[in-house]
Amino acid sequence: MDFSFFLSQLISGLTMATLLFLVASGLTLIFGVANVFNFAHGSFYMVGAYLGYQFIGVWQFNFWLGLIVAGLGAGILGILAESLFLRRIYGRSEEGGFQILLTYCFILLIDDLVKIVWGTEYKSISRPPGFTGAVQFAGVTIPSYNLAIIVIGLLVVFLSWWVLMKTRPGRITRAFAVDREILGVLGVNVPLTMTLVFGIATGLGGMTGALAAPLRSVTPGAGIEVIIDSLIVVVLGGMGNFWGAWLGALLLGEVNAFAVAFVPKWATLFSYLVMVVTLIFKPEGLFAPRKVRKI
Amino acid sequence: MLRHKTWTLVVLAFFALVVLPGVVSAADEKVVRIGAMYPMTGRAGLYGLDSVAAAEMAVDEVNAKGGAAGYKLDIVFTDSKAKPAYAVRVAKRYITEDDVHFLFGVVSSGVGLAVTEVSKQYKTIFIGTDHASTRLTADSLQPYYFRVSNNTFQSMAAGALYLKEIKASKPWETIAFIGPDYAYGHSQWNELRFCLDRFGVEYKVVGEYWPKIFAPDYTPYITSIINDKPDILVAGFWGGDTVAFIKQAKPYGLFDKMLYFHPDAGGNYELMSAMGDELPLGLVLSARHHDNWPDTAQNQAFVAEFKKRTGRYPTYAAEGAYAGIYAIANAVEKVGNPDDTEALVKALEGIKMQLPEDPEGFTSYIDPDTHQVVQMQAIGVTVENKDFPPATRMLDHWKIYKAEDIMPPKGYTEAKSTK
Repeated sequence: MDFSFFLSQLISGLTMATLLFLVASGLTLIFGVANVFNFAHGSFYMVGAYLGYQFIGVWQFNFWLGLIVAGLGAGILGILAESLFLRRIYGRSEEGGFQILLTYCFILLIDDLVKIVWGTEYKSISRPPGFTGAVQFAGVTIPSYNLAIIVIGLLVVFLSWWVLMKTRPGRITRAFAVDREILGVLGVNVPLTMTLVFGIATGLGGMTGALAAPLRSVTPGAGIEVIIDSLIVVVLGGMGNFWGAWLGALLLGEVNAFAVAFVPKWATLFSYLVMVVTLIFKPEGLFAPRKVRKI
Repeated sequence: MLRHKTWTLVVLAFFALVVLPGVVSAADEKVVRIGAMYPMTGRAGLYGLDSVAAAEMAVDEVNAKGGAAGYKLDIVFTDSKAKPAYAVRVAKRYITEDDVHFLFGVVSSGVGLAVTEVSKQYKTIFIGTDHASTRLTADSLQPYYFRVSNNTFQSMAAGALYLKEIKASKPWETIAFIGPDYAYGHSQWNELRFCLDRFGVEYKVVGEYWPKIFAPDYTPYITSIINDKPDILVAGFWGGDTVAFIKQAKPYGLFDKMLYFHPDAGGNYELMSAMGDELPLGLVLSARHHDNWPDTAQNQAFVAEFKKRTGRYPTYAAEGAYAGIYAIANAVEKVGNPDDTEALVKALEGIKMQLPEDPEGFTSYIDPDTHQVVQMQAIGVTVENKDFPPATRMLDHWKIYKAEDIMPPKGYTEAKSTK
């Protein structure tokens, strides 16, 4: 394997990892903060892709503005889903089962909804002007749009770090994961915070859907396959662990990129293998911090 | 009094002789009952909805001409959900409760293989319209199954002939494959190599890639394929996977470095409609039906009528369903009723149907031995063409392959092509 091929697989893996992370981060955020496993997270991703198509492809919005609007739209849908439906099952006994059923219902509802609005034909968005070509670097071709995705991914990582670590809402969000009741006693509006976190996470998913749309096909059912890979990422990183999700995505992306290069026939097997091994030997996630015992 | 009684008798007699038989015959009016199953949601939903629209179109045409042998066609549709176990339940219900004469449809080969077992068990004819696995008309063939669209073997045989021909003008040696990691992908690759060997074409395989179906990201595959430097890249995707692969590969310049060759589902109209200007020129593609080939009045009318009914141009699934209705109508016409299943099986073996995809001078027919429809296959190259919006590219520079040349050899089973 020569160096330029190595580098090109590495960057391929990085592109894949960034999109994986952007989807998985919302999933893990909701799980970490609200303790909800949102099966329908992929559907918000899909809604974002369709909104991106509507604003950018049909109404000719500026591409980057369109991404933000698509994210906002998916976020509002997320807020509605949380405040109208999910909120009603919090704290029930057997809440886990209800969560799975309810969020699975969202998948079916949203799938049919996009079919009614946009039909079943595949939709597609073009890359934004200036990002259709590729740059050459050390004998490696890197599509400039892929490069933009990697940069956006890093921005999201940095921005999330700043919000979660340096701001008051971020501290509240982190405290949420530890003890909701105490926060309520301290005067934090618990239901509102839950709703907002849900909205931000689904909005991030929706923006990712629009961001990925120029590389993928926008179709009903597009949410299902991203949810599986995101689940692997979340498990690798540790359920609810935001940074773990980033590292998990990097690991999965690179394992896949090099498995494709060396053992193409068994490439897909490796992502699952990594997950299985993790679940057996370190079920709390590869990158989980040492557990603090609750009193 | 007597008069009154007579009148009563007359009225009663009238009811007994005229009205009652009418009521009874209304209950079993002369109809051919067809139970159709198509996916209507998810990834394959477009194929299902196109099939439904085209089947309804054919039913309307047949009924407008008085039906088949005086029987009206009556078709009901159920969402197969693309799930074999679910489709089996629907098929059994169709047979035992609705008393259908024909099972019809199915997009996924997995569902097709499950439904053909029901058809065999209940001795009810199953008309397959849009699933491509050769297995159904080879290894798993049973007397009550008939397929009215090309299988992957026919596409791959035409593909192998195409690759053989271009050796003269554009010498090539190395070949790589990428396709979904399930039966559909593997069959195509096995059958293509089987046919290349059979036609004496020399080739060297430099790469084989099996992403999972509906994989969202192909980037690592693309960079690895480019590193393999094949002369020909054969693709075995369908639907949105083709769109995603082409979009991701384009900025890498993959299509300038090798010939992209996709003979089974690559030429489906959904690809052109989804990609517009982003679809590269010079790709070699085919499909089971083309909206702009053959240039016959029948094909033009079919495409125009479909557009009128649905507001969109048809994918190839539509013509398969359309063909299926005509296979049924022609068979019932020949037998004279839809109830004699054994006679219908005999009638379907070798039955002819003049279809939109038949060029001048050719009529599709069902091969009596394999129950597989025998059709021409046209392979084309993407060129600019704005006649079928939103598509801005369509296929042209056709190479046409004779139906008989691309049929599997006698006694072919899938096991024989597996390496």
